[in-house]
Amino acid sequence: MRVETTGLPVRFAGVSCAHGGRAVVRDVDLVVEPGELVALTGTNGSGKTTLLRAVLGLHRASTGVIEVGGAHARSAADWAQRRREVAWIPQRQAAGRFPLLTDELLASSGAPEHARAAAAQLGVDHLRDRPLHTLSGGQLQRTYLARAMGCIEAGAGLLLADEPTAALDFAGQADAADLLASLPVTVLVVTHDRAVVERCERVLEMAAGTLREIS
Amino acid sequence: MIELLELASVQRAAFALLLGAIGLPIVGVVIIGLDIMPVRFAMMHIALLGIAIGLFTGLDPLLCAVVACGLSGAGLTPLARSSTGLSGAMGLLMSLAIAAALLVLSISGVNASSAFELLWGSILATRTGDVVLLGALAVVVPGLFLLRRRQLALLLHDRELAACSGVRVERLTLVLLVLVAIAIAGAIRLTGALLVDALTLLPALAARRLAQSLTAMALWAVGIGVGVNLAGFALALLLDQPPGPVLVLLAGAVALTVHLIPERRTTTWQSAASPGSLGH
Repeated sequence: MRVETTGLPVRFAGVSCAHGGRAVVRDVDLVVEPGELVALTGTNGSGKTTLLRAVLGLHRASTGVIEVGGAHARSAADWAQRRREVAWIPQRQAAGRFPLLTDELLASSGAPEHARAAAAQLGVDHLRDRPLHTLSGGQLQRTYLARAMGCIEAGAGLLLADEPTAALDFAGQADAADLLASLPVTVLVVTHDRAVVERCERVLEMAAGTLREIS
Repeated sequence: MIELLELASVQRAAFALLLGAIGLPIVGVVIIGLDIMPVRFAMMHIALLGIAIGLFTGLDPLLCAVVACGLSGAGLTPLARSSTGLSGAMGLLMSLAIAAALLVLSISGVNASSAFELLWGSILATRTGDVVLLGALAVVVPGLFLLRRRQLALLLHDRELAACSGVRVERLTLVLLVLVAIAIAGAIRLTGALLVDALTLLPALAARRLAQSLTAMALWAVGIGVGVNLAGFALALLLDQPPGPVLVLLAGAVALTVHLIPERRTTTWQSAASPGSLGH
């Protein structure tokens, strides 16, 4: 059951992205209404992650328009505002090359107490003093979910979740899917997980950089 | 040894080493965190260019070296966006700087070897200006660390995560690169260009092995730096040997010993590419 939404609308218009000159996202048009829960599926390398990263301004070789809450980011200040409005669960969570404590990650959400409470709900509260690189894949994924809860508490109106349940066990996948479905914000989730797809209001598929709606 | 300690130059050197041990090991932690180990070689070349410009213009060559290093640190900032950008740029910078330095020296008619001589710093030849620079670093570097440690921890862990957590990554990277560059230029005066590692990287490498968080790493690095610098200097005086090499050997021995501690008592983390370089 979704609670009353504070979600932001998202609009993609003619969005294309390239990696080293090769087009990986081609002319994507999409409108996501406030509070919608949308699954983005598709084979590996079809451009899903790149599309999500482009929303945050992390993929520089992008063209077209991406609006969140009706705003198109141009300046550094616009992008800072965008990144406050959008919570992100990255696909590669163990990439850090320097130690970061779990609690420091939770605190980076902008609402540390809320993120810690979410971590307790997700069963990773006892790991707060541990560096991230000592966590298992599933523990790390739960921690990033908890951080996302903190970001939403701090004012984010859109959650971009990139395979947020890939490292979880079956019970964990179902719990995380329920959690995503209960959020009062717009959610765009890249996933191959049936438990998540089943709870989504719309399912989109990317293939070779192009997007189509399948349900 | 007691008689030696009464000499003003020896006292100044000990004080400079103590000041250096407060700021420089934290700079070493930042160098490892930004994955810019070649920065000290690049700055050595830039320093030479600064010295050449100083000799050409009649300004203080070492001041010119510090300014040149600071400016080049700032100039590198845009390249920090990609994970491979900085280390690649260091190589380019090195070649360009040494070429420009030789050209300036040739134009000014100065013998290149006299410029190179200024790169072979000596702790016992430390001047008041060097002490002031190291004192400033001993205040600014830990101060910045204390004020911005959350942002620093995020930036050094993952630049994109930091950017998405409200950290102004461009500005913080600029400040860090300028500080690193100036700190190395200052450290060159103390031990000479080839021995800068003893003051910056070696304490940080040992600390990386011992610590689980950035804050703990900085504390370990400063602790090891202070211990090694004072013990190394005392040892050099006792043995009547040049302090630079004794310091490096002692710092190296500490770093090596720490790395020999069994794995289960410490932790390591993988050095992986940023998520941006692989994600589709």
